[in-house]
Amino acid sequence: MAINPHFHHTNEQINEELIIIEAAKQNPERFGPLYNKYYKQIFNYLYQRMDDKDTAFDLTGQVFLKALTNLPNYQFKGVPFASWLYRIAHNEMMQMFRTQKDRRAINADIGDLKYICEEHDEPFFEEYIPAIKKLLLELDEEDMQMVEFRFFEKRPFKEIAEILDITEVNAKVRMYRIIEKLKKSMSKLKL
Amino acid sequence: MEPKFNIDRPKISDEEIKKHQNFEQLVKQFKQQSLNKAKHDKSWWKSKKVRYSAVIAGITVICTVSYLALFKNETKQNTTHETVITQNTNTQNTPTKKNFISEPSQKLKVNYTSYKINNAKGGEIKHPTSSKIKVPVNTFVDKNGKDIIGDVTIEYREFHDAADIIASGIPMTYDSAGTKYTLESAGMFDIKGSQNGEPVFIKKDKKVEVELASANSENKFNQYFLDTVTKNWQYLKKDDQLSILKTQNKSHEKPNDIEANPKLQNLKNQIDVVIPKKIDSVKFVYTKKIDAIPKAKEPSKINKPTPGRPTFYLEGSYKEFPELAAFDNVIFEVGPENKNYRQEMHEITWSDVKVSEGPVKGKNYLLTLTYRKQVEKLVVYPTLSGADLEKAEKKYQQKFKDYENLVEKKQVEEKRLMAEMEAKQKAYLAEIKMKQEEFDKQRAKLIAEFKQKEESQLASNFNAMSLQTKATRLFSISSFGVFNSDCPHAEPTGKTITPMFAINDQSLPVNPDILYMVDHNTKVVYNIAFKDGFKITYEPTNNYSLCIFRNNKLFICNKDQFKATTNKDSNRFTVTELPDAADNLVDFKKALEI
Repeated sequence: MAINPHFHHTNEQINEELIIIEAAKQNPERFGPLYNKYYKQIFNYLYQRMDDKDTAFDLTGQVFLKALTNLPNYQFKGVPFASWLYRIAHNEMMQMFRTQKDRRAINADIGDLKYICEEHDEPFFEEYIPAIKKLLLELDEEDMQMVEFRFFEKRPFKEIAEILDITEVNAKVRMYRIIEKLKKSMSKLKL
Repeated sequence: MEPKFNIDRPKISDEEIKKHQNFEQLVKQFKQQSLNKAKHDKSWWKSKKVRYSAVIAGITVICTVSYLALFKNETKQNTTHETVITQNTNTQNTPTKKNFISEPSQKLKVNYTSYKINNAKGGEIKHPTSSKIKVPVNTFVDKNGKDIIGDVTIEYREFHDAADIIASGIPMTYDSAGTKYTLESAGMFDIKGSQNGEPVFIKKDKKVEVELASANSENKFNQYFLDTVTKNWQYLKKDDQLSILKTQNKSHEKPNDIEANPKLQNLKNQIDVVIPKKIDSVKFVYTKKIDAIPKAKEPSKINKPTPGRPTFYLEGSYKEFPELAAFDNVIFEVGPENKNYRQEMHEITWSDVKVSEGPVKGKNYLLTLTYRKQVEKLVVYPTLSGADLEKAEKKYQQKFKDYENLVEKKQVEEKRLMAEMEAKQKAYLAEIKMKQEEFDKQRAKLIAEFKQKEESQLASNFNAMSLQTKATRLFSISSFGVFNSDCPHAEPTGKTITPMFAINDQSLPVNPDILYMVDHNTKVVYNIAFKDGFKITYEPTNNYSLCIFRNNKLFICNKDQFKATTNKDSNRFTVTELPDAADNLVDFKKALEI
């Protein structure tokens, strides 16, 4: 699987971010480089899970405002700053779904669905799409999120672990279980 | 609600995402949000502590008002005395002053030197820097304006360079009619007087003269007094009473002078000139010796004629060519290089024939044939046949043997001479190495001695300026406080950056509590304001150091580190932490390369 390279950070990059964070804690105007660096990533993350584009833009702004407000409480845990932003984004998004300002959406490309089938050693035909959709919609939110991270966004396990604040092994185990679950369902559907 | 499932939904373009990206708007929102929060957050009032404090404060206000009302008349009577002392209380550590002059580190404190002077006698104080404080008789009064009886303690300290200024915490910004300047100092002093812990004051009609030793003899400075009430420097006058010292008290040895040490110079001369010359002369002598060895000449071999090649046979003697004279019947074979050779040449009876040396000596000959005006030249090779050839071959064998012996002898002699030469050169190189080691040792010793001398001088009295004093500047002061000989500098207009600091690439950032920038060209110290996000503006042509105070730790970005960053248009400065053990003014000066 081609892994999305956005998230990978060298120690130097992480340190550079830290310098900006520390400076931004004292002066919010110095938060600019991080805002510019992560705006697109956070928007894409939100829009991937939402239906309405404008709401996704609004929510992106809200995520950064929240990040800036809570920046003095930010503590470096050895992972890129992005994982902290993703967590804020996830919480804000879930809050939005609870207030029903927008609805949860699952956005996949045909290629993603094909990839899921291949991962389960199953052939893919366009006729299978409704069945796969049905399967995915049966997953709970946590599992769905894993599928989105891994299959739709092609994120490495390390990154998934950092965003979800779990260990990499834990992320792999969860994914394994989801794959097993999907395999079972697929065989039932005789895909 | 069940999630909506979209397949292949169109992607949002980068341009559209960028259109929504507005950092300024975010900051604006953030500021507005902070403001609203402050306005609407009334939870503080719910705190018991706050409520009790408010009640206590209220009671205090009521009591104060009542007290003032009751003792109003008495206060009026005391006003006259207070007016007398108001002018002088500036130098006391009032809360205002404490905030205004804030020393960045207690470890870097410039200490006062205390002197006692009898008020009735007056006198002259000599400071170690060679500055003088001249006190006329009966100069000091107490807070009631009464003459002081007995000794007065004068506490005095001076600031001469960027490190002193930073350590003092005295602000060097100067506001002149709304324009901000930073002062370059040619020397600054802080003076105060007391008796038994109570402040004393300079009488209205008296003046104390301070002859400030200055390391700067330029005539561009003004005198200023630091007004801690208005928080600004007050211009006093042009600093024109400047006496430039003609001779310096002592010549101060610089590291460059070490190179002029006679012993070092002698060694250097040996290493760079004398011994290399010896090496050259050895080479010269031995090259000559090798050249003088007799060269062996390879004998020429005479062959039999090549079948098919044209030949000439000459009758006559070969007096000039003994190698041919031994043979009776020399046949000259025409070499293939003769393009002018023609068969008809054999048909002509040549009137004159000459044999001379050919292009390859001993191997070929030049045969010149003349008939009337026709002259033909041919390169010919001598050949023999029959008995002559055998005879020649025997002779050749003998000669060749001799030749080989000679060549061998020559080679042996050459080898011997070369070895002798190399041994001599090696010995000289070893001598250079030895002298170089001696030189390095001697130089290191001299540097160590110099450093020790410098350190002991600095350590004994780091701000004793006597060695560098170039001028004295005369101040006539009518109050205690901080005085300065200054030249205002406008803010730099070059490049502006928001700096970031880290010890190395892997380390966490160092965020300054206080940041100073030292311009080594203008000697100006800039206290960089936090409110501007510690933005710095610098002239790319000047040399700067940065000095960062963070959590009672001191970090320095020296001239080289500063240049290294700005040269690559970066804003990430490498800093070096001054170790705790070295956290004193002497080491601070060294770190700042002052």
